[in-house]
Amino acid sequence: MSVWQEKLPQSNTWLVGISGRLDQSLTPKLEEALNELLDNGHVSLVVDLTHATYINSGGLRCLVSAWRRAKASEGALTLCGLNSRLQEIFAMVGFDKVFTILDDCAATRGQARKGMRS
Amino acid sequence: MAQEQLLVVPGRYKEIKRICEFVAAGAADAGFDAKTIFHLELCCDEASTNIIEHAYGEEGVGDIAISYAVDDDDFTIVLRDTGQAFDPGNVPPPPAIGGGGVDVGTERDSGESRHDDLADQMRIGGLGLHFIRNLMDEVTYTADRRHGNQLVMVKKLQKDGDQ
Repeated sequence: MSVWQEKLPQSNTWLVGISGRLDQSLTPKLEEALNELLDNGHVSLVVDLTHATYINSGGLRCLVSAWRRAKASEGALTLCGLNSRLQEIFAMVGFDKVFTILDDCAATRGQARKGMRS
Repeated sequence: MAQEQLLVVPGRYKEIKRICEFVAAGAADAGFDAKTIFHLELCCDEASTNIIEHAYGEEGVGDIAISYAVDDDDFTIVLRDTGQAFDPGNVPPPPAIGGGGVDVGTERDSGESRHDDLADQMRIGGLGLHFIRNLMDEVTYTADRRHGNQLVMVKKLQKDGDQ
């Protein structure tokens, strides 16, 4: 159960990854990581959920809050790597329409680099 | 009805995982598939969170008692607390959620407004209740000054060919 972050090469995008259950234990750590990046002006963010096994409404709230902050600063928060169960939860509340969600995080990394060049 | 299994934990966020694991184990024994067990965990998580946030108002105020029982057709989960009555039926569904998805609309501003509404609703437990209403087959809430609050959530047992 962990949260990590890395700056994607050749871009201004930061990737924040989580491993484990995005619940009351892990969500505060994700929230802290995202807020720290946003506070420092990093408004192009990707959240890698490849290794997330669970999410509840608190986890969704954390992601929406960061998405809104990034968007307010003319940035973006993209999600990638959701398994089928997480996809179902996002769709159930319409968040699959709110967030840009990419299937695999490799594509997201590529898109970040492409966006940087254009 | 088979014997009821009961777990009582302090009303703290860190205890919710125990509640989820307790229910998940019972659901697995009852024969539910992994997807449905995930749904049941989510519903118990959201219901427990609402007890701490809305019935007790904060952590460490009172206990959460959770039980489950299986009969021929139903897997019945009961959560009890002794906090303030918090009737999920009085919480409206999130306004931005309809027909299984957010209508972001063709007007940019309209979509933004809906997202703001959704974010506001999320703060008062509406999103968790949306999951409970959608994922459980029956949900009943009763508040009693002598016996406390009781949320009963029923999931129909899967039969051959279901789901």
